[in-house]
Amino acid sequence: MKTRSRLQRFKESYFLHDFLRDPVALTSFCILVVFLVLGFAAAFIAPFNPYDAMNINIMDAEIPPAWLPGGNPDFLFGTDGQGRDLFSTMLYGLRVSLIIGFGAVALQAFLGIFVGLIAGFMGKSVESILMRIADVQLSFSTYMVAIFISAIFQAAFGLAKYEEIAVPLLILIIGFAEWPQYARTVRASVLAEKKKEYVEAAKVIGLSKTRIMWRHVLPNTLSPVFVISTIQVANAIMSEAALSFVGLGMPVTQPSLGSLINVGFEYIFSGSWWITMFPGIVLVVLILVINLLGDWLRDFLNPKLYKG
Amino acid sequence: MKRSLVFLSLVVILTLGLVGCSSEKKDEAPAKQDSAETTAPAADAGKVLKLAMDADPVSLDPQVQLSGGMMQYAHMVFDPLVRWAKDGSFEPRLAESWEQINDTTMRFHLRKGVTFHSGNPFTAEDVVWSINRLKVSPDFKGLFEPFTEAKVVDANTVDVITKEPYGLLLNMATYIFPMDSKFYTGKDESGKDKAAIVKTGPSFANTNESGTGKYLVAEREQGVRTVFKAYPKYWDKAGNVETIILTPIKNDATRVAALLSGDVDFIMPVPPQDLKRIESTEGLELVTMSGSRIITFQLNSERFEPFKNLKVRQAIIYATDNSGIVEKVMKGFATVAAQQGPKEFASYNPALTPRYDLAKAQQLMKEAGYADGFACTMIAPNNRYVNDEKIAEAFVSMLGKIGIKVSLKTMPKAQYWDQFDARVADIQMIGWHPDTEDSANYTEFLLMCPNSETGYGQYNSGQYCNPEVDAMTIQTQTETDTAKRSALLQKIEKTLYDDAAFVPLHWQNLSWASKNNMNTGEIVNVQNFPYFGNLVIK
Repeated sequence: MKTRSRLQRFKESYFLHDFLRDPVALTSFCILVVFLVLGFAAAFIAPFNPYDAMNINIMDAEIPPAWLPGGNPDFLFGTDGQGRDLFSTMLYGLRVSLIIGFGAVALQAFLGIFVGLIAGFMGKSVESILMRIADVQLSFSTYMVAIFISAIFQAAFGLAKYEEIAVPLLILIIGFAEWPQYARTVRASVLAEKKKEYVEAAKVIGLSKTRIMWRHVLPNTLSPVFVISTIQVANAIMSEAALSFVGLGMPVTQPSLGSLINVGFEYIFSGSWWITMFPGIVLVVLILVINLLGDWLRDFLNPKLYKG
Repeated sequence: MKRSLVFLSLVVILTLGLVGCSSEKKDEAPAKQDSAETTAPAADAGKVLKLAMDADPVSLDPQVQLSGGMMQYAHMVFDPLVRWAKDGSFEPRLAESWEQINDTTMRFHLRKGVTFHSGNPFTAEDVVWSINRLKVSPDFKGLFEPFTEAKVVDANTVDVITKEPYGLLLNMATYIFPMDSKFYTGKDESGKDKAAIVKTGPSFANTNESGTGKYLVAEREQGVRTVFKAYPKYWDKAGNVETIILTPIKNDATRVAALLSGDVDFIMPVPPQDLKRIESTEGLELVTMSGSRIITFQLNSERFEPFKNLKVRQAIIYATDNSGIVEKVMKGFATVAAQQGPKEFASYNPALTPRYDLAKAQQLMKEAGYADGFACTMIAPNNRYVNDEKIAEAFVSMLGKIGIKVSLKTMPKAQYWDQFDARVADIQMIGWHPDTEDSANYTEFLLMCPNSETGYGQYNSGQYCNPEVDAMTIQTQTETDTAKRSALLQKIEKTLYDDAAFVPLHWQNLSWASKNNMNTGEIVNVQNFPYFGNLVIK
């Protein structure tokens, strides 16, 4: 009875209390979990494997969803123009989108926190140099970086290789394009934190700069990082969808949600609306719930909005 | 919650995007609609045609590339000696009449009083100059290989001489678009010859034109828009379109949306999935025609070892469900092919039928020693042929079934042809419409041994080379007995079929759609060179 376990502490925390009392946050979280499960268990849930050509038959192309006239119960949400089962393809596409979204944010956070922390803590010329680099990076749009990098990689590795490295490459592109967001935020918090007494105290004890930086300042700057992370995940998924939509992202053989929407777009006037509509709805809902969760987290972590 | 607003606006933007996004040309729309109230001045102001195609011409030099897009351009800005009429006869254009002088010489009498856009008069010199230039153009020299030379008789008469009696001379004259020899002679600012034919990179002829055609290029921003203005001194007064604004719209759905919303007046091609919709829309007219453009894949055996094996090539053909592609991707808007020339052609061999049989294909792969398959690369254009990208994707998944893993890259045709010529991939897509309207032309360009001297095999990226086929094809050029010639052509098709020289898919149909206030049906033809000069907008 001396100390309560972590779980117990979590159960009694205000964090959980506030979360459970906020129906928007709760619903968003549930939906996100469902998407995560569907995406990462795609190989077990999906009735077909859309990456395996044996399952694709051109004669099955453009079958409407099962509940419409002409629908086939084998294909719940219908098929796309190549005869792939849309439900399976969406699950695999969701997985690709999520991997790219989270992967890119992890890379952004790693780069951004590192740069921001050093810039804020070192100050002076180091700070100016790093922050000017961030400015330069910000002035390139994600698309420009993407076009540039994918052109170089396609030329360097050839077509076959490009398909294999498309996922890590997109993570790299989106990660590199947006790290300054983190760097800026972390630097601002570090500047505020480093004047505080506990940092002074640590210095007096004689701790090394690196230790103070990583063990004392960093943990205190993380709450805004969590908030932007949620937004950045949504942004990264959207960037990937946009890149795939213009044909710079995932190859058609391994579609993401964005490339599926792109493929379906051509059929929209011919009445095969389901090819673009279902992946579109999934993408919008996915980004919406992540954003709503981010909103809730921001409100929760912002002491000025603390309602007690 | 602010971010959900961002989403709402995103949805709104997407919806707008679907409806069609060209708003820039709204200001010109009234010119057409209020013609009733301003009848007299309207004739002066002239009609404007807003044309949307899947791509715009890659160059302004009509002799730089032998392609449908460039020929369509040439028919607007230049004028041929003769051109095809709808009934398959020849319509005099710059040549008013012609006569056979002896077995190998044809005399053309040229139209008098014609001037180029530069103001220079059009003479026999220009015809000779243009034919000489065609004979050195990498793309055209194969077509003009049977030609010896052209000779000036007087200012308005020219003799065209062939090596041997050549039955297709007039067919070829539809490809002679005289260029302004004075305009294209000399050095440009950078000291290069103005007449140079440059496939990639800048040249004088690529960016300047002086033809005798109805339209001159008033403005050009490649890939964005090209404005054609009627040349006031043009000799033929048919047609009443003063300005043509050509906007390339690569995306099929966007191009259709632009027509439906009234942003453009004329689109080509029409994607098969939207034919029904356009047909049933009031105020629009759809014209379709069965075509002779064959769509094929070439397997490069020089580049990729396994394609040297006949069984592998056959397996690929057996694995290709081309009737599935015609039915599902082309929506029946094409004819399944197993050989190069369609039914109406002399080369058509009824014994050659489509070969789709998956089990046989797998068996052949096993026999060839590739039971586990292999990986290879492939490129295809995405705005050249009807549904080219989708066809390529379908083909990739069909090959997947016999264990061949294909990495496909699709690209716009402006990039595609450079890559095609460089033979960067193991499988490359090409469609071919015979320039001479004759079946030997398919083989001459697509399957004869590539030879940069003669220009034969210029588009043979599979590098298929069979001396027997070459010899037979050359023989057809001079064979005047039609029955014998036909038998020879059919034998060529049979050899190619057995040799699995290429993967045949289908002959694509042609389609055009426009507003119904113009004579679209009269200006289009099976060659797919719409004669916009004859277009009349009511």
